[in-house]
Amino acid sequence: MTRRKFIQKVIKIVLAIVSGAWFLAKNVTPRKFIRAVKLNIFPGSVKPLQEIKSQGKWSG
Amino acid sequence: MKVQCELCPKRCLIEAGQSGECRVRINIDGTLRTVVYGYPCSIHVDPVEKKPLFHFLPGSRTLSIATVGCNLHCKNCQNWEISQANPEDSQAFECQPEKLVQLTRQYNCPSLAYTYTDPIVYYEYTYDTAKLARQADIRNVLVTAGYINEEPWRQLLSYVDAANIDLKGITDDFYHRVCSGTLKPVQDALVVAKASGILVEVTNLIIPTLNDKPEQIRQLVRWIKTNMGGDTPLHFSGFYPRYKMRHLPPTSLETLETARQIAVSEGLNYVYIGNIGTTKGQNTYCPACKNLLIERVGYTILKNRLKDGGCPDCGKEIYGVWK
Repeated sequence: MTRRKFIQKVIKIVLAIVSGAWFLAKNVTPRKFIRAVKLNIFPGSVKPLQEIKSQGKWSG
Repeated sequence: MKVQCELCPKRCLIEAGQSGECRVRINIDGTLRTVVYGYPCSIHVDPVEKKPLFHFLPGSRTLSIATVGCNLHCKNCQNWEISQANPEDSQAFECQPEKLVQLTRQYNCPSLAYTYTDPIVYYEYTYDTAKLARQADIRNVLVTAGYINEEPWRQLLSYVDAANIDLKGITDDFYHRVCSGTLKPVQDALVVAKASGILVEVTNLIIPTLNDKPEQIRQLVRWIKTNMGGDTPLHFSGFYPRYKMRHLPPTSLETLETARQIAVSEGLNYVYIGNIGTTKGQNTYCPACKNLLIERVGYTILKNRLKDGGCPDCGKEIYGVWK
């Protein structure tokens, strides 16, 4: 093995280890849940509250 | 600056000005915002049996709310007009948590149900309302697909009294192809909910050709029995061609009855059939002496023989919240 090939191999191994560690840190480590902040403005249209006594048409 | 939402297993990495998959959690200037807090698209007074919850205050009414949005995209969704809607294209009422609690009292409902779409995507609204409702001696009910991370789930459950959680299939492939989700987080949510001590009922919607094979149903039932116990009520629900699954036929009554027989033979004590016009598979029987306890037609209770949460004939305690 030439010195150049040896160095290339070492670089590949180091890159594989670093990317593997990065992947694990990103996907496996549990992160703290932080609540979303309320916006207070609805982006759609707001309508007045209607009759709610009737059974909902939606499933569930 | 990108923001990562840690609410559900999708863990959306959201670009500035964009929303997560649920469409209602948005990155505004590097802060994660919920645009539906205080803006339900639907408020109704429903029978609790409609959720369906058969072991929770039978015959009672529940103030039922939803906002638009969902973190799953089930191709068969019956409520897709609101679950898959963009907030900017939809209409909503302004109704802060205090107002919801007031309406629940005004309409004489003992519980408040977070339902129709998925309360997980309007998490903060659900959480704050449930906390206020608990203080006002109002029970909280979730109707959800259970696609949520453990930490926010445990926090929310501390204010919840009952939940109907979907177990839509028993393979990761089904969740991936039909719902754009994965199975494991749902199974984890079911186990955590049951272990937390709240009342849990499970719904499985049977879709012809996709999850209606007897061996698939048996596998699902065995998982429930092993991980949640034989007393967990299970509802087999009928599918109707909706949204992106209009090419499949509705579930036959025969398929639902077969599923029910499988579940009973595997040792589940309370198995029901729903979302189909039938009087079969609606009643609750005592698992010990087999006598009729609660007789139902649709969402109506015809007879409730329970005595102090137990069978009046043999005294067996029946799983549920009865008062």
